[in-house]
Order: sequence, then structure tokens, then C-alpha cells
Amino acid sequence: MKKNIFLLAALIGLGMGTTHAQVQKGSVLIKNATVLTITKGNLESSDVLVQNGIITQVGKNLTAPTGISTIDATGKYLMPGIIDAHSHVGLDVVNEASAPITAEIRMKDVVNPYEIGIYRALAGGVTISHAMHGSANVIGGQNATLKHRWGSKDPADIIMQDAPRTIKFALGENPTRVHGRGNGIQPRSRMGVEAVIRNGFNEALQYKKAWENYTLAKTQKGNTSTPPTYNERLQTLVDILDGKIIIHCHSYRADEIYMLINVVKDFNIKKLVFQHTNEGFKVAPEIAEYTMGASVFADWWAYKMEVYYSTAYNAAILQKNGALTSINSDSAELIRHLYHEAAKTQRYGGLTDEEALAMITINPAKQLGIEDKVGSIEVGKQADLAIFEGHPLSAYAVPQMTFVDGIKYFDRNSDQLDQRQWVAATEMVEPIHLRANEEAHRCMQDVDAYFEAFQGAFFSEKH
Amino acid sequence: MNRILTSFCATLLALLPLMAVAQIDGEFVKPRNGKFLLKNATVVTVTKGTLNNTSVLLENGKISQIGTGVTSSDAEEIDCTGLFIYPGIIDGGTRLGLVEVSSVPETVDYAEIGNVSPNMQALTTVNPNAEAIGVTRVSGVTTVLTVPSGGLFPGTAALINLNGYTPDQMYGGFKAVAMSFPSSGRRGRFDRRSDENIKKDGEKAMKEASEIWENAKSYLELKNSGAELTYYPEMEQLSKVISGELPLLIEVNAASDILNAIKWVEEKNIKVIFTGVAEGWRVADQLAKSKIPVVTGPVQALPTRASDRYDTPYANAGMLAKAGVKVALRTDEEENVRNLPFHAAFAAAYGLGKEEALKAVTINPAEIFGIADQYGSVEVGKRANLIVSTGDPFETRSQIQHVFIDGYRIPMSNRHIRLYQEFLERSPGLNAN
Amino acid sequence: MNKQFLKAGMLGLLVAGWLSQSVWAQSDPTGKRRVTSTYAITNATVFKSPSDPGSKATILIKDGIIVGVGTSLTLPKEAKLIAGDSLFAYPGFIAGAGTMGISKPKDAERPKDFVSSNPPDEIAGITPWRAAADFYTASSSQVEDWRKAGFTISQVIPDGGMLPGKTAILVLGDSKTNNFLNNNAAVAANFRSSRSMYPATLAGVMAKFRDVYQNTALVLDHERMFATTTGVKRPQVSPTQEAMKAVVQKQQAVLFTAGSELEIRRAIALQKELGFKLILTGLENYESVIDLIKSSGTPVLIKLQLPDEKSIKAQKSEGVTEATKAQYARVKEAYDAALKQAALLEKAGILFGFSTADAKASEVHQTLKTMIDNGLSEKAALAALTTNPATILGISKVAGTLEKGMLANLILSTDTLFKEETQIKHVIADGYVFDYEIKKKSQKTDTSAVKSENPSNAISVEGVWEYTSETPAGSSGGEITIKRDNGVLGGTITYDDPSGSGKASAPIKNASLTGKTLSFEFEVSAGGMSLSVLISGEINGKSMDGALSVPQMGSFPVKATLTSPNLAN
Repeated sequence: MKKNIFLLAALIGLGMGTTHAQVQKGSVLIKNATVLTITKGNLESSDVLVQNGIITQVGKNLTAPTGISTIDATGKYLMPGIIDAHSHVGLDVVNEASAPITAEIRMKDVVNPYEIGIYRALAGGVTISHAMHGSANVIGGQNATLKHRWGSKDPADIIMQDAPRTIKFALGENPTRVHGRGNGIQPRSRMGVEAVIRNGFNEALQYKKAWENYTLAKTQKGNTSTPPTYNERLQTLVDILDGKIIIHCHSYRADEIYMLINVVKDFNIKKLVFQHTNEGFKVAPEIAEYTMGASVFADWWAYKMEVYYSTAYNAAILQKNGALTSINSDSAELIRHLYHEAAKTQRYGGLTDEEALAMITINPAKQLGIEDKVGSIEVGKQADLAIFEGHPLSAYAVPQMTFVDGIKYFDRNSDQLDQRQWVAATEMVEPIHLRANEEAHRCMQDVDAYFEAFQGAFFSEKH
Repeated sequence: MNRILTSFCATLLALLPLMAVAQIDGEFVKPRNGKFLLKNATVVTVTKGTLNNTSVLLENGKISQIGTGVTSSDAEEIDCTGLFIYPGIIDGGTRLGLVEVSSVPETVDYAEIGNVSPNMQALTTVNPNAEAIGVTRVSGVTTVLTVPSGGLFPGTAALINLNGYTPDQMYGGFKAVAMSFPSSGRRGRFDRRSDENIKKDGEKAMKEASEIWENAKSYLELKNSGAELTYYPEMEQLSKVISGELPLLIEVNAASDILNAIKWVEEKNIKVIFTGVAEGWRVADQLAKSKIPVVTGPVQALPTRASDRYDTPYANAGMLAKAGVKVALRTDEEENVRNLPFHAAFAAAYGLGKEEALKAVTINPAEIFGIADQYGSVEVGKRANLIVSTGDPFETRSQIQHVFIDGYRIPMSNRHIRLYQEFLERSPGLNAN
Repeated sequence: MNKQFLKAGMLGLLVAGWLSQSVWAQSDPTGKRRVTSTYAITNATVFKSPSDPGSKATILIKDGIIVGVGTSLTLPKEAKLIAGDSLFAYPGFIAGAGTMGISKPKDAERPKDFVSSNPPDEIAGITPWRAAADFYTASSSQVEDWRKAGFTISQVIPDGGMLPGKTAILVLGDSKTNNFLNNNAAVAANFRSSRSMYPATLAGVMAKFRDVYQNTALVLDHERMFATTTGVKRPQVSPTQEAMKAVVQKQQAVLFTAGSELEIRRAIALQKELGFKLILTGLENYESVIDLIKSSGTPVLIKLQLPDEKSIKAQKSEGVTEATKAQYARVKEAYDAALKQAALLEKAGILFGFSTADAKASEVHQTLKTMIDNGLSEKAALAALTTNPATILGISKVAGTLEKGMLANLILSTDTLFKEETQIKHVIADGYVFDYEIKKKSQKTDTSAVKSENPSNAISVEGVWEYTSETPAGSSGGEITIKRDNGVLGGTITYDDPSGSGKASAPIKNASLTGKTLSFEFEVSAGGMSLSVLISGEINGKSMDGALSVPQMGSFPVKATLTSPNLAN
């Protein structure tokens, strides 16, 4: 079926990029839904027409052009595909925990399109996830923004190629534990965390200058200056300083959040999003003024010291202080019901439907730099859509269908039981995972492997 | 300055009580006992239908009257027009009160050293002032089973109400000995044992469990025959299960383990409750046939196998109930027990239905724990554990307005709410002026 | 290195070998030296190349070279005759990327100022300057095993981390010399991380690979400037960069081990990004990347081993649920697909040979037969064993066919190669003749093979075993000494001390030998805790394959070899 669509599209010569020819784009007309556009209000009994992966019309009584199938969504809700600004689903590696700065690491290198978590996320209406490096390092690796095109075998096909670059930073307990306490190198304290970042940026400035000098000298006659050492770690920091990369910083306490705001001010960096940000509520005015906001948990707290003084009202306080706020999962479990996580902002702080839904659609889109492409139902945007039975903010809501680029990847009514993309030819008994929920939290994955085997066993922590 | 005052006060207070006038702003609201008349609510009794425009009178810690014309001259009246009254919600399995900050070992008290420690009492270590208790109860969860974990027989679980200053004040009248049934499942990502070894380990653990059980049986027989036995608290506690004094709470999740567990308890003639039961849906008919009640959850959980349909954990409770299993729900949580109503909503949406889901967190756990005469529904004579909500308490948009536990009116505040109050409009704001 | 140069180099090595022999070997008191280096295989059915339908001919070889193949050859007097009338002659097999005869380099010592975030290359598994040639032992029993299976030339890869070193290409000839054709062939690479230091993960390995590559390119720029301009500072070239120059200059290929589809994609992505010459090896699952392999023009060496059939045989037909049947079907589907993959490569026209790494020599015949039963043509199978690897390894001028002028590498079998009952009677490698006993196959079952290998059926475990174990923290190992006292098994085990460096030792407890399974326990102290560790494994000859399990942590594969058997019992 999918193959046919691909062939058809190829025949009529529709937008088939040469580099990623496998990325499929679909056409469909969804009729009579309550359309939650996010940016343009709610439209009762309305239709959305998708052609070749793009939303081309939104309105009433639309008719399907020839060859485009129609889906009747009477009584159902249609919303933009949910965007998770913090996930580790679809990655073979999460942490390269061996150095306090590993900016050269690319999560795009280790994307695994076979991971069942991608399908499970789709079944929760999630079409885009921000597949992040873990939080072991002060400056971790570069993240990948994924589009959940389930069934693709090529990692390049699930990477959102038109999303800007982002990078993971991490403050507080995790980097100080791994490097300071675990390995005896800076940082061991939150002072050290600041120093590592400042050192990194200053070295990056020197690196930039060295290359500029060399490039200039090379063009001169009789040049004798030789090329500096190539260092992708520092080059990546240069790119951050040049505004080419959005920082997404794992952070919990207000003091460390405030610290990073001061650091980026000093280096004139504008693109900064805080992740988790459990004490963000304490510095909400600063986050609102100086950053691209915060991406937070709905209600997680108390699993470690730095989240003990948290409040489930965090998102509401941030929102009401004008900070751009999104709700994320950081978990292969939570990612399946982000609509419900967003709904908790109504219990804790009484946010409106629009505010709550924006936190899993247009707001994370802005934080990932893709708001011109996705995050709302508007003509011209990519057709990432989710159909719900029941309002998505109801605890009883059940996602029905999920589309990426107009292609339906999940349909509750025709769901195949076994969705595994790959089965080992030598599998005797399928593994049963009785602690699946604990394993869902992978912010510190691969760190334990990095430490010695026996210590590793006693080294389990969530975020 | 404050510190100086405090130390002064410490010494002076005793001598000069009248001088203790350090300035303190604000007033701390405590839980309050009394006689309360909840007027004109829609009462969802769970066991006796839904009653409109009905008032409920609480006195002496009990529900004393329910009706349309209930009045009282000396009760504090709370207007509940447009509001809904539900019984207090019960979580059938948590670690609430046993842990404060899970990554700080000094604050984690639910696991003891040793494989056989049924004599470890969860109730002993319940911290009545754990932050999570205040955070939980305003969600409408008034009562939880708090359960030790770790070895084969990790300890004795206790039912607690989420109000009180001592564990005894909180104790809800039900205890059970916990058991982690030997598992044939993989323990996690790091468990790379071969299938054969997992099976072998499982058999070995099963054999060990049976030996311990026989030991406890001998202990009880000899004790009953009047023998003077050496102090043996582990066997003393296990023998209470054999004698029927305490039920056995068996944590079991993999399908094959569930079948083994059913077989294991078959001829034992003891009171058994299964907990977890993540793969119960695979063996629902056998479970129903065994008549063993089940406390299942968390509902918001990942499937146990990669090939499973994505929604099996949501649908598990519904499939069990449909097969005829008596089902209660649990979160298996510590700090986020407050999410139990939402777990129930997911179970409801994926097959259990709203009515059964409500029962699964009220009257069903009360019946499974043998305390339905006091808990689980809004009925005259039962404990005054109830909540007043703006709507369906399983919905996130509903607000819980009042919570009563054992007749105490619970202040609708906790640290999460106080931080909201303090920081919503911070002063100073962005600029210091 | 251009081909001519390569050939000259190889001949040089060969000539050196002959000369040294003739000068030194005045006499041989062992009485084992061969009398002649000239042989004639008379009137055999000869298949000169994969496309040759076969015809009767005599093959004359002298000093390691085929000097003639034909029906009217004049045979010199010194030629020792081998009656080939009932035999079938094929070019000797060529294997890519093997590990036969390769020993592990000694672990480098950690410097005092070691930091795990920036370890020295040698410790981090970045040793492209190492040569497999320096770690190769021609007299290894593994070399014997593979020769017996028909292999006469192999590429060998050094043992190590992400860039373990340069591969070597050698003839599996006389075991007294090393017989290299090229001791500086492709640079080996794989996605193996250093685990406890940078690069600790696959992501780190990919970043580090780029770093090494780019800085080698810059060093080359620097050297060019230094050579042409005065006043330029002296280039400082690290051993890693020195060794990688040939790769950056595209004179030497990178031989990348990539077993799975994702690894294959990652290796090709790196190649596309950086532009080096790539050969992929160790391919196990590649069905969905065949188009990619084809379009990238990458030659591949697939693993000469198919998935274990155990899981398929274990599938029960009765008493299982529909759900289990569905699961079985998925596994069966995957299994069947795995068998067909080689045929798909042929269909796609991809140049492929075989890698013998992690494969069992004794199963080669069956593996090839299964591939043929699943669609691979016999012609393509023979090409994958001869002409294809010769092309991939750049030795087709001297090897791959059975023709005049080629190295005297050939196989003499009892029937055409891929028949069930065909056995190899002689392998001629480097002009040396190796004879094998032809067994009468009364039963075709696997058990007969096992029995014949171990006729007494008695398994001896006493002695010193060297073991390695793969854990999440990397591989570790030590020695297991097994003794039998009054019939009771016991002994000691050494292991990497978890609380520091070096080895710790512990007594073995509860040791037992049931059938072929040896199991025992020992205690490890770590972080103030004591862990009980169980090792259990199946013994086959002098090797043991099994698992090391730790309660609450899991189980990890362990392999052991009986290095000094105690023959006293």
C-alpha cells in the first residue's frame, strides 16, 4: 500500500527529493471534524485537505480532488500532530558520558528507525520527537529532530531534515555526579558547571580566530602558516556562538537556570531553551525575558534532590509569566500520552484549552525552530495530524489516527498486533520486560555502561 | 536576625511564655475535625447509585446521614450546589510515606536486607509528614496500601489514611504480607541471562520459596502443638498467613508466573491477593477461574513485550474485569500517587468503562482488603472519607474542592500549592524596583 | 599502492621465502622436509574459474606456482605425481577479513596522568599503525581448520578497538613461515567503542573517526607545505595519522566491520561524508540495504555463517497458542530471509566474498550448500570464494583462478564442490600439499561428526583455561584453573579486580561437569558488597562457550580456551 503511494507520487513527479527518495508524502481529505487549529481557534464540523503532504485547504464542505481518499471524522477531534521537545526514543546511544563536553557527538549518527517506541508514540498522536543526547555532560551531543515515519528503514528518512540544529546542555546533579564524583574531574559542583561552559566558549572563540587567521593567511603569497588542528567539538561551540544551533539545557534548580541565562548573555547567545526546568517557576520572569522558554514535565518531582522543591503548577506559572512553555515526556512511556500530560496544566493552574494544547504543539515547535512548518493546522504547513475520539484534553480521550506528511501511520481500528520491524532469526523466546517503565526514562542511559560493570549495577537513576 | 531570635526564644520561652512574640505572618491551616453538612451535592455513592440534590452529614468521623432534607443546627455547612461527592479514592499499591527522595538512599525505607523479612512493618516507617502525603490527598486519593519491596517476602504492607500525625492515627485496619513471586521474566535491559538460565533461576527460586513455606508450616504446627520455639520473627509472621490471620499479597506479572502462582496457592487454603499482574490479560480466564482478586497497575505503563499491542497496559484491567476477575487499581508510585484517578480514566477509556473504573479505586479495593464495611462508598455508617469535586474526579479539568479523611476536613494546600501562591506573581519581578 | 607495485612486492616476499629456505635448509634432521616442490595432479577434472564447465586436465606446479594446466604437459622427473583421475580440482578458496591465527596485542599500560575523557590513542583502541602481520601465527590450529575447509589465502584483521590496525593477506601454506602476500593491506575499522573512556559509545566512535580522518588530511596539507615552502614549521605527525595517510589519499581501503543493516548504513554514511575507499565486512543482516550497497559501489564480505537453526527447531507444533504461532512465524520468516540474502546479492550484481571472522570452519560446506539451496548459483558461490575476494583484496593477478602463472593454490575434492557428500581430499596452498582423510559417511547426522571429533566421548576439563567475557563495561578476562581432587572438581579463577586495576583471584565453588556442560560459582567483592557469580558453558574440544551470570544483574557471554590441559588423569 505504502509502496503504491510512493510509486504513484513518483510517476506524477511530486516532490520526490533525490537525496531522501524514501520519504513519503500523502494526500487525504479529513471531513467533519472539530478542528483544533491551535493558532486560529477551533472550527466545528470542518474539513482539512492535504495534498502531497501539505495542508492545502481548511474549511467547510471541501470536496476531495480525484484520487484523494476521504476520512469521515464526524464527532471526532482533529489536532496538529503532537510534538515532544524531549525524548530519547529511536536512539541506539543516549550518552557519550566520557567527557564533560562532547559537542561533536551527533545523535543523527545513532538514530534507530526500528525502535518500537516510535510506533507507540504515534499511537499517542505524537508525530515529531526531539531525540536528545543524555544529561551526563555539561555540553552533550547534538540532537536529532525525528518525524515518526514508522516503517522506514533508513535513519535518514525519519530525521526531520529541514529542522535546525540543536544541542544538549545539562546542569546540576547529573554532570557533577558523572564527572566530578565519578571521574574526579571538573565539574563537581554547580560552580564547576558554569566554569566548564565558559571555558568551552572561550576556547571556541580562540579556535574560531585561529582558523580565521589561517584561512586569511592561506590566500597571501609566501604563506608559511599551517592549518590548526581540526576540532569538531570546538567548531560546534563556535556554531552555537554564531547562532546556528539552539541550546536545549537540562536544568532543575533556579540558581543554575539563572547562571546559564547570565552566561549566554555574556556570550551574546540568543537561542536557549531550558529542559525540565523544575524550579523554572522561581525565575519565570527571567526565562520569559531572555530565553526561548522552558520545556517541562507536567508533574514529575521528588525522584532526586534537585527536584524535591518542585510544583506541578510550574507550567502554569511559567505560562502566566509570559515564558514560552511546552510539556515534554523524556520517557518512552509518557510520550504515549502527552495530550494527557498537557491536560494536567488545567488541574494545576487552570490553563485554557488553547494554552494547554499549545504546550504540546506550536510551543515545542517554536522551541525546536520548526514552527513555520508544523505545530498548527494552517494552510501551507506539513500535514502532521492526529484524530482523537473525545477531546484530547479529556482523560478519556483515545487517539484514533496519526498522520505524518499526510500519510497515515497509525489507525487504532486497523492496528496490527505485532508491530516489530525486525525480528532476530535466532529468537527463542521474546524477552519480557517487567520493569519497562523504569527503562522508559533514559536521560542517563549508557552512563552505567561507561562505568565499570559492577559499579554500574548500583547506578540506576531516572533523569 | 531570625536565627538570633530563634535561639533567644528557645531559652526564654520556657521561662517567660508571655514574651514569645516573634512576629510570624500568615496562619497555618490544619486538618480540622468537626461536624460538617455538605449541602445539595450530586452524590455518587458507588454502591447505591447517584443521588441528586442530596446532602451528607459527617460527624464523629463517620457518615451519619445522607438525604435530600438533611439539616443540622450545629454542623458547619458547606454549600455543594453544582458539586459532586465521591467516596475517597483508594490506591491498592504504593510506597507512599516510605520514601521521601528516591535517589537519596537515606530517605528510602521500603526495602530491607534479606530475602525473607515478612516481619518488616511498612506501617513502622510511614512518615506522616512526608511531603508526598499532602501532595497526594488533595487529588482525592484518601487511602493507600503502602507496600515494602525487595526480596521474596519483603515485609508487611499496611493500609493508611492520608491524615494523622502518627502511623497509628493513619492506620486503616488492613495488613498483608507481601511476596514477590519468583519470576521467569527478564528483569530489565541489563538482564542478559539466557532463556535456559532464566528458567533455571526461576525454578531454583520456586523451590526455595516452597522450602521456606514448609518451614513456616512446621513452625505453625509445632507452635499450635504447644512447643516452645526459639525466637523466629520471620516464621512467626509467615505463620500468620498460613493460619489465615493475614492475607498474602503476591506480586506477579509475567503470564507464566501468574499461572505458576495460581497453582502454587491452589491447595494452600490461604487468603491471596495478586498484585501487578501486568500480563494478566494473557491468562484472564485462568485468573477468573482461580477467583483470586487482583490489584493491577500502573495503567499508564509500557507493554511488557515488543510485539504486544501498544495499549495492552491500558486495556489490561478491562480485559481482566470482562473475564470475571475482581479488579482494583494501583499506581505502584511514591511521589505521584496523585495520578491514580488518571490511571483509572485510562483503564475506563480502554475497556473497563467509567463505572467499573470508579469501583476499581473505591469499593473493589475495600472489598478485596475486607474493609468494605468502612470504606469504598458513600453510605451511612462508613468512615467519613470523601471528596467534593467540580466534576468527574478522573478528569484533569475537574478541581477537587474538599477532601475529608476520617471526618477531618483536609486543608486544600501543600507545598506545590504554596509555591504556586508565592511565585505566580513574584515580587520583586524581573526588575528589582 | 598501484597494482604493479603490489605484485612486485608480493613476488619479492615470495622469492625471499624460497631463497632463505634453500640457503638455510642444508639438511633436516627431523626428516620432515619435503623432497620436492614440484607436483603434478594428473588427469583431474579441472575447473579453472567459476565459469569453467570443467574438463579433464593435468596440473603441474613448481615452487608454489602453477606452471601448466593441460592435457599434453611434459612432466619433469622431479614431479611427484598425484593421481587425479577421480578428483575434481578447483582454485583454492580466498577469505576476506578473518581472524585465524591472530593473537591479541598486550594491553597498553595506562599512563599516570590518564584521563578517561582524553585517553592516548593506543588505549582507546585507535591503533591503525598496528599490523595484523605482527600478530599472526601460521602454525595456529585455526589456520589448519580453515585450510582443511579449502581456504588457501586469507586476509587477517588485527584484534583491537575502533581502528585496530592494518590487515594482512597471506597464503595458508607451510606453517614454518608466515607467507604474506601483503602485510600492509586495508585498514580495519569497526564500531567497537572503548566503553570506559572516550569514545565510549557508537556515537563517540563515529565522531572520533571523523576527527582522525580530518586531522590526517590536515597533516598531509601541512607536509605538502613543508616540502615546498621554506619557513614552515615542522609537521608533527602522530602514529595514527601516519598510518591513516594512505586511507585519506585513497591508496588504501577501510575494511569496516558492519554486521547489521544500521551498521552498514552508518559505515556507508561515513564513507559518503569523508570519501575514503570502503570495503564492508562481517555482514549478517543486509536484506534491506542491498540497493544501498549496490548504488554506493561498495564491495562486501559477508559472514560465512548462517543463523543458528536452534530457534526454528525449538518451535513446537502442538500445544501452543495462536499468538505464539504468530511469533514463531515471524522468527521463521526472519530465518528464511537470512538464508536467501546471499542469493539477493548475486541478483543485484554486487561484488561479494566471504569473511571467516566469527564463523566455524567445520560448517562451511553446509553453509554454502544452504545458501545454494536458497537461490545462490553454484557459479556465484564459487566466485565468492575465489575470483571476487581476489578482486576485492587486489590480488587477482596472482590468485583466484586455476591457471598457468597463478599461485599454486587449489583444492582437490571427491566430487563437484557443492554436493552434500563431497569431501576435500587435498588442499594445495603455496605449492604445499596437505592431505585429508576421507571419511565414509555412514550417517549424515550431525552427531556422527561430533562423535568422530571426540571418539572417547570423555570430556577433559582439568588444566588452565583462558577466558574472556563481554559485559556492559567492556570485555574482561582471566584464567580458570580446574583441578580434580578425589574426583571432586575445584580450582581458582582470576578476574579483573572491580575495585582497582589488576587481577583478583577467587576459589571455585560448586563445580560440576554434566554432559558437556561445565558450571561453577565464585565470589566477587565489589564496593563493599559480595556478589556470587555463576559461570556455565558448553565444552567443545578445547573451547568453552557459555555465560557468566550475576544475580540481579544479568548474564554475559563468556568464552574460554583450554590453554594448558592437564593430561595427567
